[in-house]
Amino acid sequence: MQTVIHISLSGHATSFALDEDAHRALRAYLDRARSRLKRDPDRDEILRDLEQSIGDKLANLLQAQARVVDRKEIDSILDRVGAVDGDNADAAAAQPDRPRRLCRIEEGKWLFGVCQGLAAYSSIRVDWVRSIFVIVSVFTGGIPILIYLVLMFALPVVQSNDEYFASLHSHSGAA
Amino acid sequence: MDADKFNTLRKGLLEFLILGIVSSGRVYAADMMQRLSKTDFATQEGTLYPLLSKMRREQLLDYEWQESESGPPRKYYKLAATGRRQLAEFRAYWQSLTTLIDEVGKPCKP
Repeated sequence: MQTVIHISLSGHATSFALDEDAHRALRAYLDRARSRLKRDPDRDEILRDLEQSIGDKLANLLQAQARVVDRKEIDSILDRVGAVDGDNADAAAAQPDRPRRLCRIEEGKWLFGVCQGLAAYSSIRVDWVRSIFVIVSVFTGGIPILIYLVLMFALPVVQSNDEYFASLHSHSGAA
Repeated sequence: MDADKFNTLRKGLLEFLILGIVSSGRVYAADMMQRLSKTDFATQEGTLYPLLSKMRREQLLDYEWQESESGPPRKYYKLAATGRRQLAEFRAYWQSLTTLIDEVGKPCKP
């Protein structure tokens, strides 16, 4: 059973219930639109219009039933709304992938996901990162443990590897 | 056929088609998409909204909010003076282009 997330969309008085996957897909769509429109002076207004339009389609789909919208349904709606063009050609050329940044990754974590984050950042398998961590801790009297504690507080959290890599590519993709 | 070339052409023309649609009276975005849906210029919100807001910045279009019976209020668009002028210019230019395209390949008369 997935968590249900209630969202409100611009212009719509009632909120919509989405399951976790559907919510992630919607957020990814809006984030991408936002980055494509980065240089558009009317960005916020266009995003509101898009939200409203997605809301119209959701309302139309639900016909006032109170139920949860799933991934397939939101995908089909987003497909109809279509990707935002923006000035993507220039934007993509000016900004290839974002540089990687270190994060904690929740999915598959043992403690606080610092090793998961290091593994994603360095493209080294997480088992290796953990092994190296343990071995170096034993030989240095625990210095990596201190570093772990610092990173635990300092790093932003992302939910999964997918999300981590998606955030790196949000500027590129199909033009 | 080289689909890409025609795509570029269509992309440039879409703006004038929208001017044409809006010239027929006050319309909102869904009307425009409906009008274009059966044509080669079928368009989605993701493309249309940024274009409409660019056209409004260029003062070709104007909109006002209007309540709808179902759901939130909608933006109804109408032509602004600049838009009306540009549409007229475009139509005249298009006319001269089609004449040119028809004529340009014909053998010269002696």
